[in-house]
Amino acid sequence: MAATHAGRVAIVTGAGRGIGAAIAAELAARGVRVAALEADPALAAAAGAILCDVADRAAVDAACARVEQELGPVDILVNNAGISPKHEGRAAPVQEMDPAEWDRVLAVNLTGAWNLIRRLAPGMVARRWGRIINLSSVAGRAFTPIVGCHYAATKAALIGLTRHLAGELGPHGITVNAIAPGRIATPMVAAAGGPANAAVVAATPLGRLGTPEEVARAVCFLTGPDATFVTGQTLDVAGGWMMT
Amino acid sequence: MFDLSGKVALITGANGGIPRATAALFHRLGAHLVLTDLDAEALAAFAASLPAAGPRLVTARADVTSRVEVEEALALAGREFGGLDILVTGAGLYVEQEVASMTDEDWRRTLAVNLDGVFHACRAAFPLLRRGGAIVNIASMAGHRGSVRHAHYAACKAAVLAFTRSLVHELAPRGVRANCVSPGIIATPMTEAIMRENGAALIAATPMKRFGAPEEVASVIAFLASDAAAFITGETIHINGGLYMG
Repeated sequence: MAATHAGRVAIVTGAGRGIGAAIAAELAARGVRVAALEADPALAAAAGAILCDVADRAAVDAACARVEQELGPVDILVNNAGISPKHEGRAAPVQEMDPAEWDRVLAVNLTGAWNLIRRLAPGMVARRWGRIINLSSVAGRAFTPIVGCHYAATKAALIGLTRHLAGELGPHGITVNAIAPGRIATPMVAAAGGPANAAVVAATPLGRLGTPEEVARAVCFLTGPDATFVTGQTLDVAGGWMMT
Repeated sequence: MFDLSGKVALITGANGGIPRATAALFHRLGAHLVLTDLDAEALAAFAASLPAAGPRLVTARADVTSRVEVEEALALAGREFGGLDILVTGAGLYVEQEVASMTDEDWRRTLAVNLDGVFHACRAAFPLLRRGGAIVNIASMAGHRGSVRHAHYAACKAAVLAFTRSLVHELAPRGVRANCVSPGIIATPMTEAIMRENGAALIAATPMKRFGAPEEVASVIAFLASDAAAFITGETIHINGGLYMG
């Protein structure tokens, strides 16, 4: 793998498994010194990640300070951490949704991303270079019966956050883009299996689920030397399920 | 950087600013090239400027408005290389005109190059495109938000977006992807006039505070053409420094 990103330092949140772990690995293969953040203690320990719940602002500040001290200033931020609560395999419809669950999804998926950006953008502005990637979802662009309204709302909000920050931070040499994966064959999704995945595959022109590595390669593209004039965009990695 | 070694790519309108940068990048990444353009002499001069070592390269004159000439160019790819992996439709015509004074001929001429030309090339590519292949059509920011005094051009580019998304369904069973790039204001001979007349306002409206370079579009085309984008089809990537974020 060519060291296209050599010398850069990145933080990837939710990097203990699945898409986040693949992103961390793919960036590392391109020469990036990667700090993985993970909220689940067992996953964090297994992955050698820094334990950090992105919804906890003090914990985010502490984790970022530690990364800066150990690896140096952070050039690349990948906001991947997210939750999509299910009850016996299914998301709560709005009339049954616990308000605490709504609050928690917004705190992790949306405010969590903002917590990292708030902490790291000033350094990027000062150094006049930065790359921020927010992991949205096709669920933020269209109705998908698999997720709850809280998840869909946060994923759409991340697209708005992306556009606005691209406008604010562009003059400072920072690009901000989002990636909207379709259904990706992580261990969790594979375990869900059955009709839900089959229906998605049937509606996907490429006729399969995506892989975590395919999302990771899109992250590397948008943070590397081949996307220097791309900002404020949301890239679907969905096999044609979504086409924008 | 992506590996295109051993792939065969055909680029129409290859003497244009963005297509030239794309051809040069593809050549560096190891792709064999079939380059076509209306201006055979200028194209040959450009081709001669590429490093002689490396992948094979052939050029042909082709007017994309002519079904026969496009089919001949695609047939050349078949004869020389035995098939095709990547098609980039780079031929474009960008004429400043207001609708009120646009003749039927003006309208048809712009559609013939920017829309018929894409159709001709994509159709002729079907039998040659190999599994794992990719089409990248060059649309434009104009196709999303319209374009002052370029209504015919903008209409074509919007049509190319929908054409590409439709093509996705016919190509997917063959293991071929189709995507678009939509460049904003890229510093090329084609945009010299708008940069001169309206450049300061456009840069002020662009978060990245500059115009793009053709190489910055070429690298996105290379990404979409490469295996790095294996799960991306029907997509449009905007390259505009944030000028348009639709």
